[in-house]
Amino acid sequence: MKSVLLFFLLILFTGKGSAQGPEKFIACHIHNASFATFADYIKQQSGVVLYYQDAWTKNLFVNIDEENITVSDAVAKVLKGSGLEVSVWNNNLVVLRGEKLIDTLPSFEHKAISVDSTAQKEKALTASEERYITGRMADAIQTLRIGKPGGSRSNAKAKVLGRLLDEETGEPVSYANMYIASIETGAVADANGFFTVFLKPGSYNAIFEFLGYESSKYQLEVLSDGSFTLNMKRAVIQMKELVIHGDRQMSMQAKDPGIEKILMKTIKNVPMMMGERNILNLSALLPGIVNTGEGSAGLNVRGGGSDQNAFYLNKIPIYNTSHLFGFFPAFNSDIIKDFSIYKGYIPAQFGGRLSSVFDINTRQGNLKHITAHGGLSPITGNIVVEGPILKDTFSFIISARTSYSDWILKDIKDPDIRASSAKFSDFSGGLNYDVQKTQISLFAYHSHDHFRLSNLNDYAYSNDGVSFIYNHRYSNSLHVEYALIASKYKFNTTDKQEPTRAYEHAYELNHYEAKADFKHILTDKNALDYGAGFVLYDLDRGDVKPFGTKSLRYLVPLGSDKGLESALYISDSYDALTWLTLTVGARYAMFTPLGSKTVYTYTPGSPRDVRYINDTLQFGNNKPIKWYSEPDLRAAVNIETDAYGSIKLAFNQMHQNLFMLNNTITIAPNAQWKLADYHLKPSQSNQVSLGVFRTLSKIGLETSLEFYYKHTVNYPEFKDGADFLGSPLVETAVLQGRQKAYGVEFFLKRSSRKLEGWLSYTYSKSLLKIDGEQPFDQINKGEEYPANFDIPHSFNLVLSYHLSRRLTFSSIVVYQTGKPITYPVSVYYVDGVPVLDYSSRNAYRIPGYFRTDLSITLEGNLKRYKLAHSSLSFNVYNVTGRENPYSVYFKTVSGKIRGYLYSVIGVPIITATWNFKFGNYAAD
Amino acid sequence: MRRTDIFLYMMLVIVLGTSCIKNFEPDILSSDAKKYVVNGQVSSGDSIQRLNVSLTSSINEPEYIPVTGCEVNIYDNLGHQFEMTDAGKGDYTSIIDPVYFHPGVSFKVEIRTLAGDILVSDYDSLTQVPPIDNVYYQRKDIERSEPGDFLVGIQFYIDLKGTQTSSHYYRWEVFETWEYHAEYPLEWYYDGTVHHVSPPDFSRKVCWSTRKLPNIFTLSTTNLSENRYDKFPLHYVGNKSSRLAYGYSYLVKQYSISEQAYNYWEQLRANSNPEGGLYEKQPISVKGNMHDLMHPENDVLGYFGATSVVSQRKFIKDVPDLVLDFNTFCFPVILRRGLREIAPSEYPGYLLGDEFGYSLVLLNAECINCLLLGGTNVKPSFWPF
Repeated sequence: MKSVLLFFLLILFTGKGSAQGPEKFIACHIHNASFATFADYIKQQSGVVLYYQDAWTKNLFVNIDEENITVSDAVAKVLKGSGLEVSVWNNNLVVLRGEKLIDTLPSFEHKAISVDSTAQKEKALTASEERYITGRMADAIQTLRIGKPGGSRSNAKAKVLGRLLDEETGEPVSYANMYIASIETGAVADANGFFTVFLKPGSYNAIFEFLGYESSKYQLEVLSDGSFTLNMKRAVIQMKELVIHGDRQMSMQAKDPGIEKILMKTIKNVPMMMGERNILNLSALLPGIVNTGEGSAGLNVRGGGSDQNAFYLNKIPIYNTSHLFGFFPAFNSDIIKDFSIYKGYIPAQFGGRLSSVFDINTRQGNLKHITAHGGLSPITGNIVVEGPILKDTFSFIISARTSYSDWILKDIKDPDIRASSAKFSDFSGGLNYDVQKTQISLFAYHSHDHFRLSNLNDYAYSNDGVSFIYNHRYSNSLHVEYALIASKYKFNTTDKQEPTRAYEHAYELNHYEAKADFKHILTDKNALDYGAGFVLYDLDRGDVKPFGTKSLRYLVPLGSDKGLESALYISDSYDALTWLTLTVGARYAMFTPLGSKTVYTYTPGSPRDVRYINDTLQFGNNKPIKWYSEPDLRAAVNIETDAYGSIKLAFNQMHQNLFMLNNTITIAPNAQWKLADYHLKPSQSNQVSLGVFRTLSKIGLETSLEFYYKHTVNYPEFKDGADFLGSPLVETAVLQGRQKAYGVEFFLKRSSRKLEGWLSYTYSKSLLKIDGEQPFDQINKGEEYPANFDIPHSFNLVLSYHLSRRLTFSSIVVYQTGKPITYPVSVYYVDGVPVLDYSSRNAYRIPGYFRTDLSITLEGNLKRYKLAHSSLSFNVYNVTGRENPYSVYFKTVSGKIRGYLYSVIGVPIITATWNFKFGNYAAD
Repeated sequence: MRRTDIFLYMMLVIVLGTSCIKNFEPDILSSDAKKYVVNGQVSSGDSIQRLNVSLTSSINEPEYIPVTGCEVNIYDNLGHQFEMTDAGKGDYTSIIDPVYFHPGVSFKVEIRTLAGDILVSDYDSLTQVPPIDNVYYQRKDIERSEPGDFLVGIQFYIDLKGTQTSSHYYRWEVFETWEYHAEYPLEWYYDGTVHHVSPPDFSRKVCWSTRKLPNIFTLSTTNLSENRYDKFPLHYVGNKSSRLAYGYSYLVKQYSISEQAYNYWEQLRANSNPEGGLYEKQPISVKGNMHDLMHPENDVLGYFGATSVVSQRKFIKDVPDLVLDFNTFCFPVILRRGLREIAPSEYPGYLLGDEFGYSLVLLNAECINCLLLGGTNVKPSFWPF
């Protein structure tokens, strides 16, 4: 800007009439020409030579319509929004990326500071200092010109496609906001940083903002349909200085009830357990989501079973989401950019699970320069390396994590534990290609756990997956995403405790998926989503094989399962009124179990039992066994009550074709997944939810209150003492019935303050009723009983206090009602030996769960420009050392019945972790 | 260690031994409805058939509540009826001629209680039992939590060799009998004055104790390629008890049972040995084959089965390479201040001595009376030594 001023001064001196070189006035009418053509034209008209690099301008198309314009103005206009700047040099023009040639020394102080010279970089300014210095210059905002003049039809709105990129890494800034106050219009960027707004031609003052970035103001000059790219600058210090616009962010982001979007940045200060930030355990601190307990990977969302949640990591389904039975997530949290949890209104593009979808996205990798970061704790170590392959277009990101905890086991007293080992590791790698309207990504993932218990048991499992995603914008309003996904989950167990019953078992689940998702923005009020997808499941449930020469076991082939899930969906979101948005969608999914398979049928009126098989059906390879299909309807209504609040209503229908065979209280790590088949029907649920959201911006609080009611049919429940290793016939061990879940969720959040955090409280009930006509088709005599994961009260408090910019104290307080349990209620004697008689199923509860965690994090210095940043954190898990009950059981000890309470963790666990990364505090 | 413990152990490994198990008394409503419990069987190979009828008791105050005065009849599926007589304390007995027992015949029981309930069982069919193949023990040391600390003793095993025609479901009961000794005969005692018993009374020096092991041992060979099982573990006897000191006898009863009976006993076994832990199956309200015809909504607990039984008794004296280290419960105390140290409330005070005189050493009653440890001083008829 300053050089432009200088330049005009120069013009004044030289006199307008005798303007030569770059100041010469020319006529310029060029349409859809390349920059090279434009440069030739300029040279021809004015004799001015344009110096530029082909690589920078090859994607630039020149559209200009000016009768009388100076050469340098014409070039500047053409380069607007491309990140390129033009400078005068020896009466010719030089095009440079992002900076101008400095042709004179700064003439006054302000100028010297605002020029981004390397000498000044060492001194990073806080936002307030910067504001103090630049405060008077607030009006000097940049103009973004969109489209071309005359390109628009009179009063019609122009479609504007914007893209927000991180200035430092070149990665898209997902979910950032754009807001135009004068017309109360805004948009939220998608995962690739794109957003679309409809604006009448004219000028607008737009604010772009996002957590961790400096909010920036631009003037949008909309001429016609067009697009622009904007680089957002990171805020050096996030705390204190950031102005929050929580109200707008909230109403923008959470248009649907029951969606939780979590950005890794927002959870930097939450205490960690064993030195790792477990995003899955963290999500259990949100309303409506509970963890079944220590040592369990399962999450229960809104009273649903733990197999009713889908986890996608860059669209790869993860069938076992944890390492070491739930203590660590199965993926490195350091590469995760954000994750969304859908639990109320689930968009029509998702299906297949009843309760929720966890959609996890990783970062694309730094597009500007190579960087690395990592962490070390007594148990694990991890490292992430990322950088460009081709600057600004092609990047990679690699992460590796491993445990090395066996040395600790050597000090444990128990001989079996001393001779044991527990190991896990995971790797992931991504390649991302990003050019203007096309983004291509290839992501691969591998995780592995191996557990050996002395010479008694070996257990190993692994997840492998790869996804190929192609995103393209055919126009400003049509976006399509094609994805190809393959994933494999497998485990194997070798049990050799008793030589004569020793066995080995290997299980494998393969998932192949292809899908296309279209997002069509029809008008500024109407957006249409549609798409199709196919999933082929191929499960090899494996053989239970005798192990060793002494084993007398039979070989039991558990058989294989194959099934095809095909889905079509369409969904429309319509802003009926300024305060009312309606979303209606339908998903038609068909599930077809496929052969080859031998299916047994059972005599009607008798239990499904091998004794009552009356016929055998043979299905050839890939022959359909059954056709299950039913439409899932989805609808959501979003009512904006005022600028600070909204009410959201939703109806959600889901189907589930894949179940986990599990008859223990929590998920056993070797639980098998099983497809719906000839006998086992897909389960279906209907959910109604209502949410009230409100922002109290004066005190910086966000609140919400949500209600839901969910009814599920064909919920599979396992018969007493079901054994899934002894027989391939799952139908003999499973009954299907109804599930009913309802609850209230309350959420209160304060962010970007010295004291920040949230409080959540959930009341939820989950009841089952398995009431077949015959007694053998009933559980609990056909009466309603609480599900194993029925946890009515759940309270979570997460607080962080920033004592200084480098020192943060944080704490987590968790309370949950105890899980339901079947207690012994009376005693009787068999041959003089006391035996317990148990209550009806789940009639009692174990005592409640209460835990407090504390953590102190000390960040390294906050210099903006430095080679590496490191932080130290000390975490105490379960500070009070409370022996939280995991289960209660009873044993007869010298003729008396004694109750015992089993706690997984009964002491405080203290860990220290050192994290490092190249770059400053804010770097990813 | 059972299968389900595996994950508990894995868990212990992971949390580095931070997990813990402690006593817990849950607040349980004493169930108001008492349930009938019926246990009994007809068993081919036993001379007397036994059945027991009782009621459940509250978990907080466990007690045995017999149901007496019932009218009990056993029926087979061929139309025969066998009456059982009330033997008191809830027991009912009858003698059935072995000619009625052959494989494939089914039996059921019908009980009419004084309260007017009619309890009936399903039919349970008789199967063949193979002879006991081999019962034996091996020295086995079990390492405990401290390195180098071993539980020393012997582990008993049974080998099973079924035949084509015999059942695939088995249950074992083990009864153990052992001889144990009081430290001294009764020779001197003091109750104000000193008495000398001469010759010394040895009648309470040697006793025998018998008990049925509470463990439930069940086996199904249906998932095995042969109707055979080697080295099925029975019980364990450690060197910290006196059981192996003077002679140990055990009787193993091998029952062949029906599949339903196996399921019942297996559930009972699974329920009675819970170890807590992580991936534990849910406890089950174990249902047998009994029904209340008058009040079908009331559960009747227990099982009435038809079995065949064979038994074998074995004796052990002196286990080689096993050093015993047991407690005799005899704790002599030196009377430093003479006999007046014995308070009148403690009379009679037993004194250590021999035929020539006593010494100022007070013996507790367990030192001279083996009956106090629960056994009998009548030598069992089968005792060989």
